[in-house]
Order: sequence, then structure tokens, then C-alpha cells
Amino acid sequence: MKTLPRLCQAACGWAQGHPWQAGAALLVLMAWPPARQWLEASMWRHMLLQFPLLMLGGVLLTAALPARGRAMVARWNAHGISGLVLTALVLAVLMVPRVLDLALLRPSVEIAKCLALLAAGAALRLSWGPAGRIVQGFFLGNVLPMMAVVGQLYIDSPLRLCNAYLLDDQVRLGQWLIACASAIALLWLAEVGWWAVRRENRPGTQP
Amino acid sequence: MLRTALASALLLLCAWATARWLTYDFQAWTDEGARRLEVALRPVAAPAVTVQGPGLDRASLSAVLQQGGVTIADFFYTRCQTVCLSLGSSFQQLQAGLQAEPNPGVRLLSISFDGAHDTPDALQDYAAKLGASPGLWRMVRVPDSAQQSLLLQSLGVVVVPNPPGDFEHNAALLVFDARGRVVRVFDLEERQLALNYARHLARTPSP
Repeated sequence: MKTLPRLCQAACGWAQGHPWQAGAALLVLMAWPPARQWLEASMWRHMLLQFPLLMLGGVLLTAALPARGRAMVARWNAHGISGLVLTALVLAVLMVPRVLDLALLRPSVEIAKCLALLAAGAALRLSWGPAGRIVQGFFLGNVLPMMAVVGQLYIDSPLRLCNAYLLDDQVRLGQWLIACASAIALLWLAEVGWWAVRRENRPGTQP
Repeated sequence: MLRTALASALLLLCAWATARWLTYDFQAWTDEGARRLEVALRPVAAPAVTVQGPGLDRASLSAVLQQGGVTIADFFYTRCQTVCLSLGSSFQQLQAGLQAEPNPGVRLLSISFDGAHDTPDALQDYAAKLGASPGLWRMVRVPDSAQQSLLLQSLGVVVVPNPPGDFEHNAALLVFDARGRVVRVFDLEERQLALNYARHLARTPSP
């Protein structure tokens, strides 16, 4: 019974030491047809499991970027603005319900979708730190309400928005989208609050 | 900062172009909407498949469509307990509308997507149950399963298994012109509109 947690622990430990290899392994695993089919067989797994996992792959792959590449990206990415714009736009476009259907029907759209999510993950990784809290807040203030509104639309629609998925699946996706958007917002606010409290308590600094 | 602004503007432009392509100029957000627009813009010819049904021993679908003038068609399966029942009653009302006029030039065709189960005998029973008048409303299946998939795919019909034992599909009314091409796809609720459109099509000689 204890093998699985140990295995996970070992895998996580290895991934921390070898981030881009872990990213590549994750992507290979997700390209494996049975895994892909399982992820795309349901609407909520397609959007709320496959999308973030692909972004995680992008995040991990940035570890392979040499310092020169990072410096070049940074020149085009002051305060992480371009990167966060990229991530927000990718997420906005991919929330159009037609994308989910087209990704199942057309390999070209599927590949474009995966590449866009990898790019979005990588851009998020390279931009989140430089962005600072104001730009971060602006980014989340756009993306999270969009997620919640799309989620509400999925819940409220009496029709199936994707031909390939069932109505109850769509409702569940909508509920999870709202839950995830709320959770991310709370986490970020908690982090900002924690940072503000620590800054105030630090001796010798003005609040 | 100038580079960042430039990159962001470029990204916005790309996202806008992608969204425009994806949604047909912001007209269709779902694949079903896009399918209907595509059909209206470019009629889709029925592929070469063989159909079979009560009083019809294996004929090509296009021959069946062309001998009937204008055809309003739907996809169904006889074991269905949900949406097909409303499709059935929808077609009963269409039939009543057509019976009221002497020579309507419009016929009805129900195509089963459960060809393995819906044998001509099963279709005959179902037709009798719904009171289908043989000269006006025909029920067929595609006996060959590869041909059946081809037909569904080319007409944009997506069938999803809905356990236990049911199917969900993007039920709609497909209007075929006298040359056997789908020229318009209507919602189930747009029955009267579909009928009026079909009548209009039957009166105007095709170019």
C-alpha cells in the first residue's frame, strides 16, 4: 500500500532536480494515446486537467532555457507584460467551446492547442516574477472573472455547447471553473495579505 | 518598454485573428453553430452510401434523396427514449402539415445511426408506431458501419454514448435540395421554419 506514495515522492524529488526533463516526460506521457483519450473523453478533464497539465509542461520546460535566451525574452517582456498578455489571450481563445470540438476532430487544431498551452505556461513562468503585484493583480483580475463567467455560461446553457460532450459534463465543468477561479483568487489575495503583513512588521520600514 | 508594447500589440492581433477564424467573424461560438453556417454557405453533398429500410431494398442515399424532391431529414435510433421522441413528434407534425396540401414536393426521411440494431423490421415497427405514411415519410438505416460513420462525419453529426445504453447526438432538421445536398440545418424547435424553407425550395427550380 505504501509503494504508491513513495513512488510519487521519489518522482517529485527527481522532478525538482531535473525540471525540464520532468516537463518532457510529462508531455510524452500526455501524448500517449490512451492517456490523451482519457483526458479528452470528458469535457471537464479536457479543460481543467489537460489544459493545466500542458501549461505545467511549459513551466517545467523553461528550465532548459539558457541565460542568454532568458535575457533576450526579458528585453521583449518588461514587467512580464507581454508574457501575461500571451497567457491571458491563449486562455481566452481556448475557452471558446468550439475549440474543444475542433481539437477532437482536427489534428492541426489539437497540435495548435497544445503548443499554445505550452507557450502560455512558459510565458507565465517567465513573467510572473518580473510582473510584480500590480501587474499580477491586473492579469488575474482579467483571467479569473473570465473563467467564472464562462463557467456560469456553461452551467446556465440549456443546450450542449460541444457536440462531443454531454450536458451534465458541461455543468460540472462550469462549476469547477468557478471553483478554480475563486480558489486562485483567494490564494493570491492570501499571499498578498501575508506579504503586506510581513512588510509592516519588519522593523525600520515605513508601512 | 517599446518592445514590450510592440510584442503585446502583435499578440493581441494574433489572438484577434485566431478568434475571428474560430468563430466565423464572431458569429458562431459552438461547433454546431459553425456547422450550420458552413452548410448555409456551401451546401454539402450526401456521400455515396447505401441505405435500406421498409419497402426499400438497398439503394444509394443520393438516389433516395433525388427521387423525393426536397427532403427534410433527421438522424435517430429506435431505442431512443429522450430527444428522438420529440424528433418523432416533430416529424409527425411535419407530416401532418405536408398531408394538408395536395402536392407538397417535400418528403421526410429519418436516418438511423444505430444500423446494427435498427433492421428494416425494427424500422417498420417504429414507423407503424409513429404513424408514418410510406409515401411521405421514409425510415432507413445504413447497413454498412463504415459507410454509416462516413455519412455521420460528412454531415457533421456527432453521436456520443450516454450510459447506460443511450446515445446523445446533435439532433437537428437537415434540409436537402432536389440534388441531394444539405442546404440548411435547423433546430428541432424551428420546425415551421424548416417546413416553410423546404416548401420554398421545392417551388423554386434549382439553378
